[in-house]
Amino acid sequence: MKRFVRATLVLLSFSLLTFACSCVPIPENNIIEEITPIIFWSVQGGGEEDGKITISTLVPPLIKVKKRVLSLKVSLLNEGNKGFNLTYYNELKAGQIRLLFVDEAYAKRGLTRLINTVLTDPNISQRLYLVITKGNFNQFLAKHLGETDNIDYYLYRMFKHYEKKKQGEITVVNLHQFMKMLYSQVSDPQLPVFRAEGEQFLYEGTAFFDRDSMVAEIRGKDDQINQLLYRDRFVRYLVLPDLAVTLGHIRAHTHKKLTPDLSSMSIEIDVKGRIDELDSLARIEDNFQFAALTQKIERYLEENVIRLLSQMQKLQIDPLQIGGLTAKPFSKPITRDTWDRHWSTMKINVKVRLHLEPLTKVK
Amino acid sequence: MTTISLEALKQRLALIEDAEIIDRETTDGLRLTFIYLGTLIDQERLNESILVPLVRSFQSSVEKSLTTAKITRLSNLEQALQYLMKGSVLVHDSSSGRWQAIMLPNSLSRSIETSETETIMFGPKDSFSEQLEQNILLIRRRLPLTALKTERYSVGSLTQTTVVLMYIDGLINPEFVAVAKNKLSSIDFDMFLDSSHVAAFMEDHYHSIFPQYLQTDRPDSCAYSLGIGKLVIFVNNTPFALVAPITLFHLFQSPEDYINRWLVASFLRPLRYLSFLLSITLIPIYVALTTHHYQMLPLQILYVIIESRSKLPLSPFWEAFIILITLEIIKEASLRMPTKTSQNLGVIGGIVIGQAAVEAGFASKVLIVLAGISAISTFLVPNYLVTKSSLLLQFIFLILATYLGIPGILLGLVGMFAHLNGLTSLNQPYLAPVSPFYWRDWVDLFVRGPLHAMRIRPEALRPLNKYRISRRSK
Repeated sequence: MKRFVRATLVLLSFSLLTFACSCVPIPENNIIEEITPIIFWSVQGGGEEDGKITISTLVPPLIKVKKRVLSLKVSLLNEGNKGFNLTYYNELKAGQIRLLFVDEAYAKRGLTRLINTVLTDPNISQRLYLVITKGNFNQFLAKHLGETDNIDYYLYRMFKHYEKKKQGEITVVNLHQFMKMLYSQVSDPQLPVFRAEGEQFLYEGTAFFDRDSMVAEIRGKDDQINQLLYRDRFVRYLVLPDLAVTLGHIRAHTHKKLTPDLSSMSIEIDVKGRIDELDSLARIEDNFQFAALTQKIERYLEENVIRLLSQMQKLQIDPLQIGGLTAKPFSKPITRDTWDRHWSTMKINVKVRLHLEPLTKVK
Repeated sequence: MTTISLEALKQRLALIEDAEIIDRETTDGLRLTFIYLGTLIDQERLNESILVPLVRSFQSSVEKSLTTAKITRLSNLEQALQYLMKGSVLVHDSSSGRWQAIMLPNSLSRSIETSETETIMFGPKDSFSEQLEQNILLIRRRLPLTALKTERYSVGSLTQTTVVLMYIDGLINPEFVAVAKNKLSSIDFDMFLDSSHVAAFMEDHYHSIFPQYLQTDRPDSCAYSLGIGKLVIFVNNTPFALVAPITLFHLFQSPEDYINRWLVASFLRPLRYLSFLLSITLIPIYVALTTHHYQMLPLQILYVIIESRSKLPLSPFWEAFIILITLEIIKEASLRMPTKTSQNLGVIGGIVIGQAAVEAGFASKVLIVLAGISAISTFLVPNYLVTKSSLLLQFIFLILATYLGIPGILLGLVGMFAHLNGLTSLNQPYLAPVSPFYWRDWVDLFVRGPLHAMRIRPEALRPLNKYRISRRSK
């Protein structure tokens, strides 16, 4: 009897373990030197008549040997993955994929199909950074095929760095965040935009999406304000050339409030930071001058926030997830159409309060 | 029962070169025959304490002449031979026809030395030797109690090894003593040359790779065990005493734990558990990750591993297997070699073979680092037998990891803990106080709490007197 109980317990634990490991009692053979774990996929096109896309990656991923760009024109994402295996001596595995670069043209046509394919693959982690690219990405890759040039790895480290501790320089969105915003009733996703130009990969700004299609792109100070209002609420440098001032280490605390009839919204933004740089002509030697400058920056920021939100209203998109404020306990969630209708006509009042450290002597 | 006669004794002692038979006559005309084995007895004491007083004596019998010596009157030949072989001098009084035995064992032994298997920096340095009486003395010095009982048994038809069962009466749970007595009485085998042989016959599960009796040569450790309600078994001619009942966790405790500051000891003890787990799973995890679960590796580490494995001809399993076997060969060789040579062997093994294996392309640098950490981890466990067990476990986990990956390692751990949960030591559960759960004992389990907090003896041992402080025991 005792033996029977023991045998049952062992079998039970084995079954539980099997369940815990995605029902694969005998795992895949992934001997590390026989496979090539890829770090990114780059997807371009989708606008051709035959509906085909071009999928590219870089192999081998990390070993210090000369690299190759693998590129295939296919109809389906996994068709490309299979095609790569047929053209390369090692089996390409997507279990370590960390980046998905999507061409601007493809993004404008909608990302749902691509995201669903990636999302449903159990091998692919949700910590996959999504990036919109402009320019010729394959050409950029072709410039980085040297033995010591692990460009794929460096790009991954860049995104990881800015995501960790929310460094506040560039927009970083992973698959999980994108999916959450995409399938939300009232909000829309946003993704970083980079331009591949020769050997360089330049950050341009943030792309706004209407559901899964890219509809707009913001740059410069708009992008910085968007980052401030988005979940980070931290920007390392807020450069305001119009006012000849740079604010540093900016932290914003935003308080948004909707009226019950959804006719207007008030946003109060408390901004803490310091004046890092000031044009030599500007003077903040006394309290009066300093207060005047502060007020000037407050007005400037208010105008820009209103302009940015108006742009979003015009496009009927909600990347800042303001629609989430309509959710109340025990109430029916608002529908997309209702929110869009209210959002596009909503009156917006913005109040910015600056709490600045001048970093110079102010009498 | 055969009656004792000189002829019968001579016949039994034929072809024993060190057997001596001498005749002497006392001043009073008493004729005495002395029979003994020259190598077994203390010849100097025989001359000074027996022969000289007897020959000069005017008394009519041996008992009257030797007032200081313990004299046993013998009744049959088997008894006489038993005494003879244990270091007694047989004395035959021709006038009365009596046979007597006087114990004069040769007390030749090594001196009290420092323990080599359980070395500590601070604390008592003495350790047991092969001499039973000396070992008992070392305990009696530490526990000068009349309640400290010793019961003598003889095991082994050939070796006739003396085994002493020691415990504190009135403190220990009598069930343990009864079980131990029962087990000792029912031992039936010919030779017992070491305490581990006795342990093998007393263990509840002799197929297990985990020892169910703690073998120690430290008197302080034995005294502590007796004091908390355990029993100790001494076996003649072996410096290692057996302590029981024990749990798995006792094997990870060192006497130094109670010497170090409690916070330091509490830091070191979990380190031992961790190092034991590392020693059995570190290399299997490497094999599982490099064979099945490359997805689980951080990209930076994946880079290093791919780099180091890219030109190896062997699969991760064979690479690990060969390195582990080589490591064990070096470890075993260094144990069997003289101290100075073994140091050189360590250098050759560790640096030259490791470096050469990497350069020759037999092993990756990562594996050499992991094998080093794993090998060093095994030495953190104070019990040598557990250290040896971990080696076998490592190979089992290695095979499981190769075929089943991480689930295999988890399955192995489940199996190991299920096995441990089924083990007993003197019929007491081996995983106590975790299973069954005794929360009060946790103060001295994964951490070593302050001595002030250890006011009661371990509940798992169910001692008769559970309080360690006098105020509460009254």
